[in-house]
Amino acid sequence: QVSELVQFLLVKDQKKIPIKRADMLKNIIREYRNVYSEIVKKADRTLQEVFGLQLVEIDTKRHIYILINNLPQAEGQYLCRGKEKEKMGLLLVTLSFIFMKGSSVKDGALWEFLHLLRVYPGKQHSVFGDVKKLVTEEFVRQKYLEVTPIPLTDPPEFKFQWGPRAEKETPKKDVLNFVAKIQGKDPTFWASQYAEANKATT
Amino acid sequence: ENREAMLNSKSNRLTEALEEANRLFDGVCRAREAALDAQFLVIASNIGREKATELHSEMSAFDSTAFAEDLLTFMGINRTEVEETDDSEDVPGDFLPSDAWQKMGEEAAKYFRRAPTFHYMMGSFKSEPPVQKQRIERQKKASRGRAERAMPAQLKEMEQSHQEATEKEVERILRILQTHFENDPNTPISFFDFVIDPNSFARTVENAFHVSFLIRDGLAKIKLDEDELPIIEPIKPSERVEEDSRAAERNQVVISLNRKDWK
Repeated sequence: QVSELVQFLLVKDQKKIPIKRADMLKNIIREYRNVYSEIVKKADRTLQEVFGLQLVEIDTKRHIYILINNLPQAEGQYLCRGKEKEKMGLLLVTLSFIFMKGSSVKDGALWEFLHLLRVYPGKQHSVFGDVKKLVTEEFVRQKYLEVTPIPLTDPPEFKFQWGPRAEKETPKKDVLNFVAKIQGKDPTFWASQYAEANKATT
Repeated sequence: ENREAMLNSKSNRLTEALEEANRLFDGVCRAREAALDAQFLVIASNIGREKATELHSEMSAFDSTAFAEDLLTFMGINRTEVEETDDSEDVPGDFLPSDAWQKMGEEAAKYFRRAPTFHYMMGSFKSEPPVQKQRIERQKKASRGRAERAMPAQLKEMEQSHQEATEKEVERILRILQTHFENDPNTPISFFDFVIDPNSFARTVENAFHVSFLIRDGLAKIKLDEDELPIIEPIKPSERVEEDSRAAERNQVVISLNRKDWK
């Protein structure tokens, strides 16, 4: 049962869409519901010890999980399929922007920023294709970003924040260090962001 | 409206607006007006929140334009000399190399604790169970030849019951036999020639089976010719009547044919 669950989780994680507990129960655990938590615990152990991954619950109410990497980032080439690498680049840039702007930005502000990087959500991009779709749909579905409509705005506006997966996969401290590195400054240059980034994480 | 004006941290417009709204509310007596007031409050609180955020980040001003410039530099942008053209469009004169975002991605990967996606090295079977294929209607190929040989033609899988299928087959074979005899009335066909399908033993057996029906029903008869080989010919309608009365003359013959013989 445990190895089946492990395999199930690994395959489900391919698209980086979070995994629901209901799916786990329906497909793998089925009759063994009463020992569900045991099986999950063992699966998590296997994931950690064998694969260096971790099963993390990002929504305790609806019981939704993701897999993250437990091992420290190794230097060197990463084997990535498709445009994964470039998407990560765009994502990091977006997350940094949002964080440095106080953890929440209006969609208009984000698009303006991306324009500066020659990425135009209205037009097809040579690398990313439909950028707007990538940001507002794919990244949101994968829980890297969260998009909420701003009430009573006409035409409707949205605000972007970090999603639960970003919270777990990307420490704010690292993001601040990234910005500092790019700009050739010390992270403490931005005092409040620095304070925010170094708040004790739960 | 006036959102931007209110956002200006130096202005007190928001406070003023709130105070005015309070005053106006005293005069409200209709539900619609109250609703408008509620709407106003929502917008006002949003603006208030935005102002607070702006204040917050103003403490550590973040220059996103500078950030963007630095990102472009990191990605290896080529800043070419641009003549001062009529820049009505926003087309920049410099351009990003094709691996710009890849470079970005390489750097970015270090910052994510992202689980590497799991893929089988050699590819895998499709993960869904195979869909139950509908039983394909069998279409047996017609083996054709203009020769006098009997030709079992297409045998389509009938949706009707086996009973009817057999009858149809029997009829068909009868017709073939009759057609042949029309063309060549005095030459009975060798039974074996008629029945045997050179390509299929199973078909041969089926043909013999169907022919037996013809015999039973008195529509055809098998005789032995000079060489003691069975020949088959249809019974003309006129003869048929006589047959009934000569029921006793019917013989039972068992012809055995196995695969080896067939070959």
